[in-house]
Amino acid sequence: MSDENPANKSTDFLQDRRQWLKTSATMIGASLLPGTAVAGEARQNETTPKAAPPHPHQVRPAKFLTPEQHALLEELTETIIPADSHSGGAKAAKVADTIDVYLRETYEDEPRALFREGLRLIDLMSQHYSGKSFVNASPEERIRVLSVLSENSHLSEIPEVKFFNELKEITVECYYTSKIGIHDELGYKGNRILKEYVGCDDQDLAKT
Amino acid sequence: MSAEQEVDLSKTYDAVVVGSGAAGGMAAHVLTSKGMKVLLLEAGKKLNIEQELRSMEWPYDNPYRGNLPPDEHSLSFNEYTIRRPPYGPGFEKAKHLRSYIGDSDYVKNIVVDERENPYTGTNYAWVRARCLGGKTNIWGRLALRLSDYDFKAKDRDGYGENWPISYGDIAPYYDKVDLYLGITGVKENLDYLPDSIFQRPTKLNCAELTLQQSVKKMGRTLTQYRAGVTSDGLKHNKYRSRCYGRGACERKGGCDIHAAFDSPTGLIYPAMDTGNLTVRPNSTVREITVDPSTGKASGVHFIDSQTMKDYHVKAKVVVVGASTLESARLLLLSKSRQHPSGIGNSSGHVGHNFCEHVMGPTIAGRAKDLVGKPPTLDDGRPGGFYLTRFRNLKEKQPKFIRGYGFEGGSGCTMFPRGTHVPGFGAAFKEEIRKNQGAYIGMGGFGEVLSRYENYVDLDPAVKDKWGVPALRFHYKFGDNERKMCEDMKETAKEMFEEAGFEILYASDRILTEGWSIHELGTSRMGNDPKTSVLNQFEQSHDVKNLFVVDGSAFVSASCQNPTWTIMALCWRSCEYLADEFRKGNL
Repeated sequence: MSDENPANKSTDFLQDRRQWLKTSATMIGASLLPGTAVAGEARQNETTPKAAPPHPHQVRPAKFLTPEQHALLEELTETIIPADSHSGGAKAAKVADTIDVYLRETYEDEPRALFREGLRLIDLMSQHYSGKSFVNASPEERIRVLSVLSENSHLSEIPEVKFFNELKEITVECYYTSKIGIHDELGYKGNRILKEYVGCDDQDLAKT
Repeated sequence: MSAEQEVDLSKTYDAVVVGSGAAGGMAAHVLTSKGMKVLLLEAGKKLNIEQELRSMEWPYDNPYRGNLPPDEHSLSFNEYTIRRPPYGPGFEKAKHLRSYIGDSDYVKNIVVDERENPYTGTNYAWVRARCLGGKTNIWGRLALRLSDYDFKAKDRDGYGENWPISYGDIAPYYDKVDLYLGITGVKENLDYLPDSIFQRPTKLNCAELTLQQSVKKMGRTLTQYRAGVTSDGLKHNKYRSRCYGRGACERKGGCDIHAAFDSPTGLIYPAMDTGNLTVRPNSTVREITVDPSTGKASGVHFIDSQTMKDYHVKAKVVVVGASTLESARLLLLSKSRQHPSGIGNSSGHVGHNFCEHVMGPTIAGRAKDLVGKPPTLDDGRPGGFYLTRFRNLKEKQPKFIRGYGFEGGSGCTMFPRGTHVPGFGAAFKEEIRKNQGAYIGMGGFGEVLSRYENYVDLDPAVKDKWGVPALRFHYKFGDNERKMCEDMKETAKEMFEEAGFEILYASDRILTEGWSIHELGTSRMGNDPKTSVLNQFEQSHDVKNLFVVDGSAFVSASCQNPTWTIMALCWRSCEYLADEFRKGNL
């Protein structure tokens, strides 16, 4: 990626973008300029954050996102950090549930709106590239959609790119602070009582 | 151990100590051990500190993974940069607004609410911990000595003032602090960074050893983090445990078994056991009072931080250890007929010569031979390494005077390093896993020159929650600091290249003034009462029963972390104080 000219890539991306926004506009028949109000936003805005003291250990049920949005978020986070032969992925680590808690309890209105808009735009992109919604797309088709955003991550003023950048960051944070991320994936060995800190086990290096 | 004692405000104490951090705690320890009856006043609460710190809590057992709860906000570098103090306005939605260090569920109640404690003037990240023990509850633990390269720096480069003491005067007190509080490290026999009396040291991990060996060839020294932590335990102290390498030292927060020094368990509780110490938390001292006939200090006025009731307590000696900036504020607030510009301020130097450490320049790299190795346990120790000063010791740099050191570390951490790599998916996940033990990084801490024109004074209009006038900053880094930070980046790159590390990131960006939390110098010591506030025993030139025993007394900042020097100086001063008190000279 580094030896290609990012300027050319950006041009392709922007041309593509015009296309999928147009396609979807005819399909859904709505104005799709970034930043415009999304259908359903008014209803969702009623979910004002209630800072009820949450109990640790307990994964709280999804409340901010609709079931459809939640399903989409699960597939998105799993595409960012998938299960592999080494450990479970974002889905197993319930990353989408944790993000939902953040959306409901800690996020301000602006990043919330970005999240809803981002989820919507991802589906438009998926329709453009594969003719399917993101949830119904194959893993390869999903990767293709996110690759477009990842490769253009420097264009962070574009809503879907901004959304992807932020989604990646929060997915990483939630995954690597989860049980699966810390123990299964990374095999973290600390946070225990030690007799003695071992230090470097490379005998040649330690001797010199 | 309860700090909720009945306080008899009708009696005259031998000494009242203002502040309960490293300085106030040490003053209480030394004075009570000499048999003096001491009242210690702390503006903040006595927290149930173990419950705050929860050092071994897993992130997934915390409702927000260790982040602040949603109704709180902590200031970011950008917010400190684009806004001007006071930082309260604009954050009305947050129930509490914290300084940058308060960005964690474990620290939030230890640092103050910025809105209750406003300040004005130039941009400054002022971190304050109003609670029993102050910032020692969350300090970084790097415990270093100063040397005559610092105390007599003017003799070497002509800048500023020499300290009124030399290393020989303070060395015995560094020893006392080492033995009483515990410190881990390795002897290096460096004349510019004297050794302490170390307990069992921690070990370096592989990438750190590689760096150590390669900088050695350049004539530089990388040593194990000299931590104010007891690795062998302290037989004389029943409130502290030895270090068990549980990690979490990197997490912003303290040590709930008190292996790391903190003032309550290290100094204050043992002092209470002498029967000579009374502690009153929730006591915001607003003025040092003066005997109109003698001009000497007669006690202090304080406000109960919770009930807002005003009290006065009498004392034969007043010892101020409220932190460098709060102590200056208190002296300036204490105006009287005899001391119209603030007590102890006939020189006009109180609040001036304000200095600290500049930080920001950082490097991150990767030891390629460690990529793909199985995970190692690397954070079971209080710190990684300290790369000692090497500038302006034997040679003279053309662009800047004084020096800097680096703090750093390597290896696996609970939250992996290197998550900002591009991409996503299976390859991204594998890359994070394979590289997790291979990262090594360090950041510089440099001396900020003491300058008369860098100062604080009282804001004529803005007051804090208790009606006490706020501090106003007139403080900026200068050209010497900027040049020094450029050099930090270059030398960091040179050393990482020499060690064969792949450099991933190198920056000379300077963080907001105040970021190091090492404020110093606002009531400097000196032999000349016209240009200094205190004598070599941290005793006011003007008022002989007034002592200021915290970082205020520093004449220059050096580049070494100040806590151990604050306590050694305080010990020396308080022995002198107790001696003079016994002789009736105060």
